[in-house]
Amino acid sequence: MTKVIEVEDMSFGYTREMILEHVNFTVEKGDFAVVIGDNGVGKSTMVKLLLGVNRPTSGSIRISGKEVQSIKGSGIGYLPQNGGNRAAAFPATCEEIVMSSQYKNIGFARFPKKSHKEKVEEALKLVGMEDKRKALIGELSGGQQQRIMLARVLAADPEVLILDEPTVGVDAESVDRLLHILHHLNIEKQVTILMVTHDIEKVGPYANRVLCLSEGACREELLPQAQIVHAHAHEHAHGTAEHVHCANCDHGPDKQHGHDAEHCAECSHCEQYHEHDHDQTHAHKHDQPRQHRENDGKEAM
Amino acid sequence: MPSILQYAYMQRALLVGCLLAVIVACLGTVMVHKRLSLIGDALSHSSLSGVALGLLLGFNPIVGAVAICIVSAFAIEAIRKKLGNHSEMAVAIVMSTGIGLAGVLSGFVKSAADFNSFLFGSIVAISGFETRLVVILAVIVLLAFILLYKELFYISFDEQAAAISGVPVGAVNAIFTILTAVTVSIAARTVGALIISSLMVVPVAAAMSIARSYRTTILWAVFVSITSTIGGLVLSFYLGLKPGGTIVLLSVAFFLVFRTIGFFRSGAKSTVSSKEV
Repeated sequence: MTKVIEVEDMSFGYTREMILEHVNFTVEKGDFAVVIGDNGVGKSTMVKLLLGVNRPTSGSIRISGKEVQSIKGSGIGYLPQNGGNRAAAFPATCEEIVMSSQYKNIGFARFPKKSHKEKVEEALKLVGMEDKRKALIGELSGGQQQRIMLARVLAADPEVLILDEPTVGVDAESVDRLLHILHHLNIEKQVTILMVTHDIEKVGPYANRVLCLSEGACREELLPQAQIVHAHAHEHAHGTAEHVHCANCDHGPDKQHGHDAEHCAECSHCEQYHEHDHDQTHAHKHDQPRQHRENDGKEAM
Repeated sequence: MPSILQYAYMQRALLVGCLLAVIVACLGTVMVHKRLSLIGDALSHSSLSGVALGLLLGFNPIVGAVAICIVSAFAIEAIRKKLGNHSEMAVAIVMSTGIGLAGVLSGFVKSAADFNSFLFGSIVAISGFETRLVVILAVIVLLAFILLYKELFYISFDEQAAAISGVPVGAVNAIFTILTAVTVSIAARTVGALIISSLMVVPVAAAMSIARSYRTTILWAVFVSITSTIGGLVLSFYLGLKPGGTIVLLSVAFFLVFRTIGFFRSGAKSTVSSKEV
């Protein structure tokens, strides 16, 4: 598989104290990778590094084989946390906002052409917001604003989409819709997605990779589809998390057995499920969410 | 009753006033959306120290105002980047420095009348040289604004995303900063340093109350700005009022009217929405 994101022995700190240390991971083409970790662990810092906003103190970050600093955002789409909040106070139509992402295609000090307007229309259709093209963004709901922000990102035809907690402050229905759209893009258009999130229960079924960030280090877990959600489902069904494995603190299923994963003092967000310890009763649960991945993605629209 | 247009000084005032109204509204739209509404205040006050310096050292006060304004504008940008979450303090810091410097230097200026003309402006007393200066400035600012429209829109909307998308944010901001500084210092001579900052913000605030897009926000701001300027000049001519103050008060009246229209319009819309639900 083609490596889209390659982070090699990367360390970073705003001061001498490092926030991220010797981080290594790769994301391949078509991956839907989720980055999880406690607050303040450096998730958003890592996003800034991946976007080339900050430069690593040591190590390297390559996007599609090129140093991230050299590509100047080319091919990267970025959807920030509460992206719509900033937009809400801005007196612009959805069409104008989506058009802003056409900058690279239009060029410096030039004007948009018909093809750029068509691209905007296509992006609005992709997120199901073509009816709102003339609406002021401030008049839309939080979920709709976030979809417009996604359309803005998509209109630039990104090879890789980086999303920083895009579901924060968005109602449940809009989160579902957003995830369906991302799923469609991931499956149908092979857009590589890297999403920082705390909403692992919702996002889990759509992801195929989980990167757990803790104490400055990143642990990559290549997991079968939707394991995390299975773990949660299991937890809810049985009232215990006996099969939850904490990848961060290395509590295996045996050590973890008998205590609730949420009370795992070392890390509360990195609860992950170990498939190999499961019996048939649990295994059948894995099939259900996996269908998300195998679905042709048409339901997204 | 004498016609306002029969006097050459009023013809010049109307021409200069309208040109400034257009470019100040355009620049103001970007300023307001970059959350730098008070930058006009800071720059116009700083320009006064340049005026005082010019009057003290015997060179054209406008040149002094332009130079100090450019330095102040870049100082605001530099401090803004350093202060992070408290970036709005950059405007206050530069404004305080400018006022302090102007206050100290004005104490040494012999002709207080010259200095005061920059405080409140003297649009009806501008020279042919100043008129030509404003025409050239207006052409340059309008051209830059039209050519950099989408870049300025993107930066105002989301500076980080613009940078990630490859917009040369530093260069565009630098061009915009210089244009704003030059406009503020020249406009200070015509409508006055204390009034230029109001003209940068109030027409935009009025426009935002009723506009239905970014483009129409600019057009409405220009409309309010031009109408206030012409109306202010006409009223001041016939009623013997100070032109600068009259122009600003008219734009505030526009703001109140537009705000009321916007309030009723949004009220009607929410009533329709609740009925639909």
